Amino acid sequence: MTWGDALPWLVALPWTGAVLTRALGARGPRMAGGLAWAFLIATAALAVGPVTEVARHGAFSYAVGGWAAPYGVELRFDHFSAWVLPLTLLFVLVVPFSFRYLEGTLPLERQAPFYALLLLNAGAMIGFTISADLFNLFVFMEVVSLSSYALVAIAGRGLAAWAALKYLLIGGVASTLMLLGVTFVFVLTGSLNLADVSARFAAGVDAAPAATAIALLATSFLVKAALFPLHVWLPDAHAIAPSPVSAVLSGMVVKIGVVGLIRLYQLAYGSSAFEMAGLNTLLVWAGAIAIVTGAFLAMVQNDIKLMLAYSTISNVGYIVMGLALASPYAAIGGVVHVFNHALIKVTLFLAAGALIHHTGFRTLTDLRGVARAMPYTSAAMAIGAISIVGLPPTAGFVCKWYIALGAFQAGQAGFGLALVFGALLIFVYYVRLLNALYFKPAVHAAVRDASEVPWSMRAPMLLAALACLVMGVLGGVPLSFVEPAVLDMLPAWGP
Amino acid sequence: MLLFGIDLDYLAFGVLFCVGLYMVVAKSNLIKKVLGLNVMQTAVFALLVTSGMIDGADPPVRTEATSAPFANPLPQAMVLTGIVVAVALTAVALALIVQIHADYGTIEVDELKEAP
Repeated sequence: MTWGDALPWLVALPWTGAVLTRALGARGPRMAGGLAWAFLIATAALAVGPVTEVARHGAFSYAVGGWAAPYGVELRFDHFSAWVLPLTLLFVLVVPFSFRYLEGTLPLERQAPFYALLLLNAGAMIGFTISADLFNLFVFMEVVSLSSYALVAIAGRGLAAWAALKYLLIGGVASTLMLLGVTFVFVLTGSLNLADVSARFAAGVDAAPAATAIALLATSFLVKAALFPLHVWLPDAHAIAPSPVSAVLSGMVVKIGVVGLIRLYQLAYGSSAFEMAGLNTLLVWAGAIAIVTGAFLAMVQNDIKLMLAYSTISNVGYIVMGLALASPYAAIGGVVHVFNHALIKVTLFLAAGALIHHTGFRTLTDLRGVARAMPYTSAAMAIGAISIVGLPPTAGFVCKWYIALGAFQAGQAGFGLALVFGALLIFVYYVRLLNALYFKPAVHAAVRDASEVPWSMRAPMLLAALACLVMGVLGGVPLSFVEPAVLDMLPAWGP
Repeated sequence: MLLFGIDLDYLAFGVLFCVGLYMVVAKSNLIKKVLGLNVMQTAVFALLVTSGMIDGADPPVRTEATSAPFANPLPQAMVLTGIVVAVALTAVALALIVQIHADYGTIEVDELKEAP
């Protein structure tokens, strides 16, 4: 019995939970929520083993059905998985927040499906991070996407359905492109296993179809990641979804695209058939434009959830730019930001959800002066906002510092400037937010007399806010996972 | 069979894919958009499933009567999974369209944009 045998359970456990939650949830929403939480905690506890195993002995695999790779389906747990897997553990914070949030927000009969979809989403995301097989990546990505479409639409009526359908159509085209890319790779190499395909690419393949396959896969992942020109589906979907869902979508679901992109770099590793440098140049520019545009659009929003949605676009820009700069510091910063951004966004969306849930208002103008009535929520919001700007000593600082250093290291200091400029724009938005919450008199009686949210909502967001600070102070811990993986991979990133 | 130096079936997949993409992008009716997505997916499935075909190969079942080379059965398994994914996607899309129609009374994009 090795830790490899635990890998399929990381996916099977949440999915079992999803089925049970749906089946037993009819007995009441408390039953459904509690069951979902229990299964997520069990998954989190199980995940500790593989993560420590990777830290001690490096990557390991599991052959599904006993068929060894490259012919069978392989689950592989490497340093990237170990770093990205904790993303899914943030679900452990989101679920208890939902207990009270859903009361009055979601009809009773939809609450069990809500938790079931969250579990399905979490399991598929774990599957995506540990899968070493291209076709499996496609299937897991589809399960993540499908459950996300349903979650966007779950609370609202026509408007939410319309936002979800826009998301679905763009996401559907993106996944079709991914399947086409997978088909190209399969026809070219006759294999689907990532390591095997990479070896066969390195041994020499036809350049044009291989480059087409890479381009198709990259486009598909970038749509899922909502990199700037491909982001049109994101703001509506993230702003209209219930706040716990927004936290999941913004924090975790868009990261599927980024993880996919990292896997793509691993695929191209060592191949001389095509240069990744062209893709890198494109992505570095797209990332820089995304940083500035996203931050600017976030700055001019009045609706707090739309503001956070646009800030996600900006932060995906940071991550992609970090990866594409392809210098050690920048790539490390980008990969670290995958998790840190999720943590920050969960804090912010949970706090925003609490404000909206308890006051009934969602714009900065209406929420003026709310800090007096809801000090804990406002504090969580403020810490989240400091982190997203990237001020020390918070989680956002470490990554942005590394990416900026990496820009200099790559000899492209101009992109460091784009990063600082984006941070300045976000800083403006942060000052606006803080000013509205803390220093303006309340305009609505409902805001002045609002009561603080119950502890079941307060504890998750305060814990997340605390984690933002801790990740800033203990910035070195993630490096022990990310650094070896990135430095191994860097030659594939191109010059 | 070749047409202008391109394999005719590959050409057909390409055309089918583009027809589907055109429908998704250009059509205003939501049902037609979803149909377009299905056409795109079908084009990719067809391409994927032909990749398992080998000229003069036997079905991949080992009996007295069959001998190597065998056709590759893997693409069919993948297409089957792909079809399941596509069906699920279509089901969710249609459910959303029903909800949109119930609330707005229309499934035309240009009319939805004008709706409050």
